[in-house]
Amino acid sequence: MLEIQSLTKRFGGVAALDAISLSVSTGGYLSVLGPSGSGKSTLLRVLAGYEAPDEGGIKLDGQSLATVPAHERGIGFVSQGFALFPHLSVFDNVAFGLRYHATSPLRDTAEVRKRVNDILEMVGLEDFARRQIQQLSGGQKQRVALARTLVVRPRLCLLDEPLGALDANLRQRMTIELRRIHSALGITFFHVTGNEMEALAMGDRVVVLDAGRILQADEPDTVYNSPASIAVARFLNRYNLFNGKNDGAGGIATAAGLIAAPDEAETRRAGEVMDFCIRIDKIEVLPENATPGPNQAHLQAAYITSEFSGAIITHLFRLTDDRILEVEDHLSHRRPAEYDPGGRYSVVWPRAEGLVFPAGAGTVPMKAAA
Amino acid sequence: MTAAVQNATLADGPTAPAREFIRRQSLGGWMLLAPGVVWMLLCLVVPMLMMVYVSFWTQHTFSIESTPTFANWIAFFSTPTYVDSLLTTIRLWFITLALTFLIGYPVAVYIGLFVRNRTIQTSLLVLCVVPFWTSFLIRILAWRPMLGTEGAVNLILLKLGLISTPIEALLFTQYSVIVGMVQIYVVFMVGPVAFMVSRIDRSLIEAARDLGAGTTRIFFTIILPLSLPGIVVGAIFVSVMVLGEFATPAALSGSKVNLLGNIIVTQVGSLKWAFASVCGVILTVLMAVTVVGLLRIVNLRREI
Repeated sequence: MLEIQSLTKRFGGVAALDAISLSVSTGGYLSVLGPSGSGKSTLLRVLAGYEAPDEGGIKLDGQSLATVPAHERGIGFVSQGFALFPHLSVFDNVAFGLRYHATSPLRDTAEVRKRVNDILEMVGLEDFARRQIQQLSGGQKQRVALARTLVVRPRLCLLDEPLGALDANLRQRMTIELRRIHSALGITFFHVTGNEMEALAMGDRVVVLDAGRILQADEPDTVYNSPASIAVARFLNRYNLFNGKNDGAGGIATAAGLIAAPDEAETRRAGEVMDFCIRIDKIEVLPENATPGPNQAHLQAAYITSEFSGAIITHLFRLTDDRILEVEDHLSHRRPAEYDPGGRYSVVWPRAEGLVFPAGAGTVPMKAAA
Repeated sequence: MTAAVQNATLADGPTAPAREFIRRQSLGGWMLLAPGVVWMLLCLVVPMLMMVYVSFWTQHTFSIESTPTFANWIAFFSTPTYVDSLLTTIRLWFITLALTFLIGYPVAVYIGLFVRNRTIQTSLLVLCVVPFWTSFLIRILAWRPMLGTEGAVNLILLKLGLISTPIEALLFTQYSVIVGMVQIYVVFMVGPVAFMVSRIDRSLIEAARDLGAGTTRIFFTIILPLSLPGIVVGAIFVSVMVLGEFATPAALSGSKVNLLGNIIVTQVGSLKWAFASVCGVILTVLMAVTVVGLLRIVNLRREI
């Protein structure tokens, strides 16, 4: 069990981590989603012991890590660039932590060979032990880095954008590999990424981080279906975002037109400015003059173009305030609709599917204070 | 052109335009190579062969003739003065090399690893080179007022009450020669090592620490091996220069220390070219063996 309590780290007065509190159960897989500069790498470096926190504490299995130096924490760190030792072979890289541990080195060479070969087999590199690092591809380096960290059986394994350096195809394969290795070893994984799909796919819990603060910590489908704030919705890259005033009659007046709000919005005070979002796959496109149903929200929009990507097609529409609205269509559900470029349409969605938030809530702290 | 015709041409080897292109390219390569080859032949290979040849000539008191003889070589290895001089050269070379490493390596690691700012790194390296702004001879001779019986070092030690009579052994001994050579050549060790150390990715050190290795272990398994190419280059620089030394012992040893370089100067001064050639060949072989030996330790082509 990893417990992080109001962890704060400042660089030159600017908080990179702002009172982060978090706990991860043993054997869990936590993914941390955040844009660059959100403090996610700092969080890893503080956990690993490369940086000392300014405030707050970290406990691993009940033991405080405040005075434990990096090399005695039992926390593995797989860094973004893999940081493999270029002068050592794959075998010697992986054996490093076993042989050279400051307090408990493994002196039995037969045991070292067995454990290194076992872990290499687990990551699928059993035939590469004698290779030099320079002779490996990106994906193989990634596996060596993972094996090198996991062979010492850390209590917690930190992964800093582990798939960032890989191409899309390899990324997909390594995602599956990572999950498999995780469940085989039962080590707690702490996976940091800037990619929303990766975060949702990997973690059994997802933490969304921005400007050093936690915006949401939930299960992946909760984060995906009901983001806690407009900022989380923005990071997910799957929502159309709006901002407008509650008209007190069940509608939100946005620059693109009046949007029928979900029920909860009606209870809020009239005149209040609020953020609104609707997921891109919840929207339906109807002819311009079609009458929307009583429980549907609708806007007028002009068709621009479509982006085709395999099973998914994304249609882009221009709203009356010139902003772009995305509509996602899954081709397995229906034949792709054909729209006239420049033609006017009515975009509709079930009003209950919309999400409203008090304006500025959960965005960057500066905005919230204003 | 049909596919069949195309295949036929391919099977015949390069087409006429392609052949012309290859011919021109190799001609261009030769033209780029020529100045270097001519230079190396005239200034390195020919003089070296000449030196080896002359070392077998017959030496008379003030003249020399091309009758082949082993007399010079026999004279060198049967005269204790010369053999001693060879041994002294080797001994002082090893001592100087060891000291430049012991003094230079920590400095280089400090500059390359602990100074994070590139500008400060460069400034510190430039500072190491500042002494080179004065002439070689002045730098050497400046050690006389430092190390002499009434020199700065003795004066300070006397004032501090650490000694009651000046230490005479400081100047005009092999120690002063070592001090002088180490001071001049240590920078040639610092430079290459600092360069290699500054290229070590810091994440490697963090990774090693994360895997549980202590500082000493990290130094010996990561930093030292990764800086080895720098040490080798530095050692080659220092070796080549120390083995060719004659000025420092001449200025600081009071003629008590004679390196092979000093012997050559004396022999050439008394027109004993054949004998000087013997010393030259021995020095050249020594340097060649050293450089080849050091280069076998690391593959510089791959490391730099």
